[in-house]
Amino acid sequence: MANLLEMKGMSKKYGEFLANDGVSISVGKGEVLAIVGENGAGKTTLMKMLYGLEQPSSGQILLNGKPVTFSGPLDAIANGIGMVHQHFMLFHDFSVAENIVIGHEPKKFGFFKRNDAVRSVNQIAEQFRINVSPTKKAGDCSVGEQQRIEILKVLYQGADIIILDEPTAVLTPFEVDELLKTIRFLADQGKSIILITHKLREVMKVADRVTVLRNGKVTGSVSKTETTSDQLAQMMVGRKLQKLNERDNLDGDTLLKIKGITMASKGEKPLLDKVSLTVRHGEILGVAGVSGNGQSELIQAISGLSLVNEGRILLKGNDLTDQPVEARRAAGLSHIPEDRYLWGAAKDATVEETGLMGSQRKPEYNNRSFIQKRAFRSTVKEWINRFEIKASSLEEKSGNLSGGNLQKLIVARELAFKTPFLIAAEPTRGVDIGAMEYIHDALIEKRNSGDGILLVSSELSEILALSDRIIVLYEGKIVGELERKDANEERLSVLMAGGIENVPTKKTSETS
Amino acid sequence: MYLQKKLQKLLKPLVQPFFAVLIGIITGAVAIAIVGEPILDTYIVMWNGAFGNFYFLTSTLARATPILLVGLGVALAFRAGVFNLGGEGQMVLGAVSAALAALYFPGPPAVKLVAALIAGMLAGGLWALLAGWMESRFKVQLLISTLLMNYVAILFASYLVAEPFQDRSGSAALAQTPMIEQGAWLPKLFTGMSVHMGFVIAVFCALLLVIILRFTTSGYEVKMLGLNPFFAEYGGVNKVKVLLLSMFFSGALAGLAGTVEVLGTQYRYVDGFLTAPGFAWTGLMAALLANSNPLGTAVAAILLAALQTGAMGMERNTEVPLEVASVIQAVLILFVSAKFTINWWKLRKKEGDVSGTV
Ligand SMILES: Nc1ncnc2c1ncn2[C@@H]1O[C@H](COP(=O)(O)OP(=O)(O)OP(=O)(O)O)[C@@H](O)[C@H]1O
Ligand SMILES: [Mg+2]
Repeated sequence: MANLLEMKGMSKKYGEFLANDGVSISVGKGEVLAIVGENGAGKTTLMKMLYGLEQPSSGQILLNGKPVTFSGPLDAIANGIGMVHQHFMLFHDFSVAENIVIGHEPKKFGFFKRNDAVRSVNQIAEQFRINVSPTKKAGDCSVGEQQRIEILKVLYQGADIIILDEPTAVLTPFEVDELLKTIRFLADQGKSIILITHKLREVMKVADRVTVLRNGKVTGSVSKTETTSDQLAQMMVGRKLQKLNERDNLDGDTLLKIKGITMASKGEKPLLDKVSLTVRHGEILGVAGVSGNGQSELIQAISGLSLVNEGRILLKGNDLTDQPVEARRAAGLSHIPEDRYLWGAAKDATVEETGLMGSQRKPEYNNRSFIQKRAFRSTVKEWINRFEIKASSLEEKSGNLSGGNLQKLIVARELAFKTPFLIAAEPTRGVDIGAMEYIHDALIEKRNSGDGILLVSSELSEILALSDRIIVLYEGKIVGELERKDANEERLSVLMAGGIENVPTKKTSETS
Repeated sequence: MYLQKKLQKLLKPLVQPFFAVLIGIITGAVAIAIVGEPILDTYIVMWNGAFGNFYFLTSTLARATPILLVGLGVALAFRAGVFNLGGEGQMVLGAVSAALAALYFPGPPAVKLVAALIAGMLAGGLWALLAGWMESRFKVQLLISTLLMNYVAILFASYLVAEPFQDRSGSAALAQTPMIEQGAWLPKLFTGMSVHMGFVIAVFCALLLVIILRFTTSGYEVKMLGLNPFFAEYGGVNKVKVLLLSMFFSGALAGLAGTVEVLGTQYRYVDGFLTAPGFAWTGLMAALLANSNPLGTAVAAILLAALQTGAMGMERNTEVPLEVASVIQAVLILFVSAKFTINWWKLRKKEGDVSGTV
């Protein structure tokens, strides 16, 4: 098979730092290439160069054997290369169809032809078997739907090579399966796909070939049929991974008690409906559910980012219901947020400043309201060593860290508070498998030391691996509770779908 | 190597304003050429008018003083992520309060001076705080409230000096207060030169602001609130408190700007003496040019003041009209607002329809 796209000896320097060091990849027509590697290995950087978002320091891009250079994404699009960003760039007030045709609208005498737009969107959606409702507002679409819009947009622009950077990180298991089917179908139609992911299961399912990156270099390029996921994992992190061991029940006292909390905006269906739960010392309580069923609201209610309409929240017997965030943190709560860019960091703040949040008033780091930078810096350096966070310096902007490295920084910060209670929302979203193991170990260690953790995750495997007990949220209500020994993927999936079997886990279509 | 990095970091905030000024100067050159005057000579005259001798230099610094102080106020609010467009009103209220305190506060002159400084800062600060409170309580956008409150403040001050507190000692009834007694004046730095103690105060404030923003807890919280309000809230920063404090001190700095003009230059409140030269808007521009970096704001304030004093010198000595300075200023405004709109737009896109303030 002739190579449609080839990147040869690509290097990218950020200052002194070499993010890509002589990376070469190739993709054939109708082929799915997976790129895997640790956080900060340089995957996103490589794709940014391909899509014209960054200029390579050296190297060559060949399309059909001809060298090309892209000064911007428009150049890349004109050459049939499309990219689906992890943070979707949709106009929320526009319809799905408008979002898809934007920039290439069907026009007559300069007027936008809405019906034509809907028609061509329908046609292309049918051709590639991607399910969207063209007239719906983009803002009303679920995350999975928004991603399909992005994919259709890229297809509409005529892309032959489609880059997907960690597309499954934000999806529910059902949506992941759908996406993988779509990817396979697109490849069968002759499109070439470059897929970046940390999940080896997905790689083994759809990829034809796999390229592994480590520290900016290619450490291996294999065809899927000649490898196993264990072997890939070893190539990625350079060591063997261990399995989590079983553990004993600790039977601790009650730590967090939530009594019948409800959250609703006026006249609408409640987002949280009389939720009651308990987290004990030495226990990880897993919260499973299709995203959008009240998990975010539950997290925000407990952490104090939104107030509840009724119900009580008690931590170690202290009533926190009407307390501000600061008081809750002081009472013994820390919080790994579900969206690291929205809640967990400020992109333009330095690594040091991002790490300082929450500690700025702690006596160890504060002397008469002056921040003790030296003391704090050595703490951050410890985190960086312990979690192998790749940051060129403490002065680096946290927005420049790779997604997984920023996540590790946030996890390190929140664990360092050593509070009795931790909310861990999607704690390993976007981190590589080596770091995931590390974070999981850290969470279990925290649990074993007698602290309680509320784990919210859309990864069933994560919930199953870590939780002592699991509750399932559906439409703002707890619809089931399982002990660790009774839980498995099938039972959880049924509960997540609202308790009735053979109903697909989708809930958006009729409600609007 | 290490030193070089340090130096780079120190100079980096200055690069952008200098670039903007450079473009301004090039545009000015075009304007001068259109008028038909020699470009280089005109600029030399302008330079001399601003920095040519000790007298001109000190006049430039005197003019820079209020600009610098309001600029710092704007910069502080910006760091906290909000617009304070009310510098003018806060400045005027500060000035009129300071004048009245200096006139009517009982005690020896030194006490009157201190009372005037405090009154000026309090008045400006509270006026800004009111806007901040309306934002946090009723979601009245600061951008709009601060702007509109300017009119209220300016008209109120005009009324005060035109009616109850008017100076009726002279024959002509001007809209101004009586003169403050000499012991309560801010001393001049050099005899016969217009620059006064207020400039030292302003530079001191700039340094203080740098230290606060860079090294203290409050400064950190202000900065984080400005960079990402959600992150600040998540981390337990009391958003409302930080917003209100920032607004208070932002207004207090503007009030101080008016105060030192009263105590160091005019020795009374004269209707329109702060609004006519557009100090507040020049200060806003200085802050924007310098990206809200306090030291950068100081430099930009002096540059902008020099542009104005230099232009006066130019008009005295050449055929080029004063308006060339306005052309240069206009270019700077364009530069600043373009940069600004782009940043703002990026932020909007990033956060969807979240307003970006509190
Ligand atoms: N604009 C930038 N300036 C400086 N360094 C950068 C910049 N962008 C990325 N880097 C650095 O380059 C390295 C590679 O980043 P990249 O985003 O490509 O990693 P990645 O493989 O996509 O990781 P992840 O799996 O965590 O997303 C990281 O160490 C990152 O800190
Ligand atoms: Mg990445």
